[in-house]
Amino acid sequence: MTTLSTKHLLGIKDLTADDIHLILKTAENFKEVINRPIKKVPSLRDITIANLFFENSTRTKLSFELAEKRLSADVVNFSSASSSVKKGETLIDTVNNILAMKVDMVVMRHPNPGAAVFLSKHIEAKIINAGDGAHEHPTQALLDAFSIKEKLGSIKGKKIAIVGDILHSRVALSNIFCLQKLGAEVMVCGPTTLMPKYIHSLGVKVEHDLRKALEWCDVANMLRIQLERQEIKFFPSLREYTMLFGLNKELLDSLSKKIVVMHPGPINRGVEITSDVADSSQSIILEQVENGVAVRMAVLFLLAGRA
Amino acid sequence: MNILIKQAHIIDSNSAYNGKVMDVLIENGTIRSIKTRISPEKNVKIIEAENLHLSNGWLDMQVSFCDPGFEHKEDLDSGIKAAASGGFTGVALVSSTYPTIHSKAEVFYIKNKTADSIVDVYPIGTLSHKQEGQDISEMYDMKLAGAVAFSDDKKPVNNSGLLLRALLYSQNFDGLIMTHCDDKSISNDGKMNEGVVSTKLGLKGIPALAEELMVDRNIFLAEYTNAPLHISNISTHKSVELVRQAKAKGLKITASVNAYSIALDEKELSGFDSNYKLNPPLRTKEDIEAIKKGIIDGTIDVITCDHRPQDIESKDVEFDFAGNGMIGLESAFGLINTNKGKIKLETVINTLSANPRKILKLKEPKIAEGEIANLTLFNPSKEWLFEKKHIQSKSSNTPFIGTTFTGKVIGIINKKQSYFNK
Repeated sequence: MTTLSTKHLLGIKDLTADDIHLILKTAENFKEVINRPIKKVPSLRDITIANLFFENSTRTKLSFELAEKRLSADVVNFSSASSSVKKGETLIDTVNNILAMKVDMVVMRHPNPGAAVFLSKHIEAKIINAGDGAHEHPTQALLDAFSIKEKLGSIKGKKIAIVGDILHSRVALSNIFCLQKLGAEVMVCGPTTLMPKYIHSLGVKVEHDLRKALEWCDVANMLRIQLERQEIKFFPSLREYTMLFGLNKELLDSLSKKIVVMHPGPINRGVEITSDVADSSQSIILEQVENGVAVRMAVLFLLAGRA
Repeated sequence: MNILIKQAHIIDSNSAYNGKVMDVLIENGTIRSIKTRISPEKNVKIIEAENLHLSNGWLDMQVSFCDPGFEHKEDLDSGIKAAASGGFTGVALVSSTYPTIHSKAEVFYIKNKTADSIVDVYPIGTLSHKQEGQDISEMYDMKLAGAVAFSDDKKPVNNSGLLLRALLYSQNFDGLIMTHCDDKSISNDGKMNEGVVSTKLGLKGIPALAEELMVDRNIFLAEYTNAPLHISNISTHKSVELVRQAKAKGLKITASVNAYSIALDEKELSGFDSNYKLNPPLRTKEDIEAIKKGIIDGTIDVITCDHRPQDIESKDVEFDFAGNGMIGLESAFGLINTNKGKIKLETVINTLSANPRKILKLKEPKIAEGEIANLTLFNPSKEWLFEKKHIQSKSSNTPFIGTTFTGKVIGIINKKQSYFNK
């Protein structure tokens, strides 16, 4: 198989296991490319890509832009914090503008779940969801899968614990779908107030004791506490969150095996993980960032039909 | 014009002709004659149709015509056309207009503007002044002007003391209180039913608990005050059970469900189609089954279509920002009849006709000689494709365009007027 089964990348939900394998395989090639002295290939030189970020982002935006530029695409950027624009109008107006500008692909981050699906119903361009509210963040899940595979050789049969704010996390949801399609076992761990009541229906284990989760897993993906998505208090203080769900070196060293530690970034150092854990040899946080560029190149390349 | 309805299956549990196939002659708005065969005279419009059924005119007790204030979505004229087309000879209009229906001025506006229309229009006044949830409205004055009930519509009465006073006060003049149940501190700005689907979509869930807690509280308040209370829009199996228990205790509780709540479940939302963004939200298959049982055993008295017009700007936006509701009058009977399962047709007709009038204490029409003709004509076995051309409403926010229904409305007769669908 050399092409994806979908026109857009709206969510991992829509991908088959074959699609995911194809993306990861393609990303391996691009990882080799970006480690060459000349990091650029001409694959997308006839393609124009608009990066629309309706929500703050540093690394995802940079990572996409870098991936696009290394594929020689023409890139235009638009950023707007959702709070500063009138609700509802912006997206539909932006849509019309994109149509007029003959853009080929759109990378969009948006605070509302389903925004990428909404966009895909209105425009011809290919859409890549760079995060839509608490719904999906497919490229993050793909780069996480790539990084696990790179570190452990395979994903099938591995145990992965996702720790933190599951309720507000698109990373958790996309990771669950992606890892399960690749044959991994997934556990979610976090405070009961930040755990969707029906999360077990996705076929994941649910744990509220961090030590038990860490003892169970091969890989721990420590999510960032998304304070900006919490309009009410789900836990009394960051201090108390850290006491219950923070990963420190002492806890990491006390485990019966050496687990891999991941984080989608940006890290709240000292909250979900301490600095010495983030910087330890068990952490693959910076590898994730590097792999992000390769994986996004693969997604852009495949959606553009260049395989 | 005089009308002769040929060979109609009569469905009216109060009529001696119930279950019979008869010819019915209507002269000057009155049922003149009901016989096995009536020969047509001159100047009489003859209505003949395959599998023609005749019942008392239907009444929907929860309809939004958006007038005054939101006439770009619907107004009284377009709403009345939609109601007539859907087989309704009566509608009770919710108080969520701008301004809200909170004094006799707004009640008179609606009554006066619709005085000559084929559809009887009954305003519902607010329960609290301007739906603000603080103080009770001038219910008595509104009742004198023509308001048939008092409700803050989809705004739940959060303040228990306010509902307590409303239930007590309305008894001074035999007023009816209606409430929508949703504990906002639990539903917390949720966008769809909390469940498997919301988890997959990352959409904020509305727990069934938010509704059930308030149904339970409201039943307690009705018991304490010994007042009649109508609970609108129940949507979960536990709510049905709570109402069932309250009725078994002899409390004066009545309840209604929305037509979509017997037909659709939460899975419809998987594609983020905002036409399925509804309040109460689409629930689960289990809830649908419980609601149907509740209709069969009489726990649920009324099915409303909860007609909620929304313009395209309110629906064709990101799901979080989309307005709630769908239009429903034109598709109501097709939707209910197609999805009725084991519910008998006669029961369906009672939930659309006799029961809402009983609850609102309106005079019930009767299919008998000498009675005023207030009738709905329909064919319960007719299959038809629901298309945009069938929509009389100003808005077309419905997911049913392109759906094949079983059961079609032929027309209505009311107030010496008639309307027949093409």
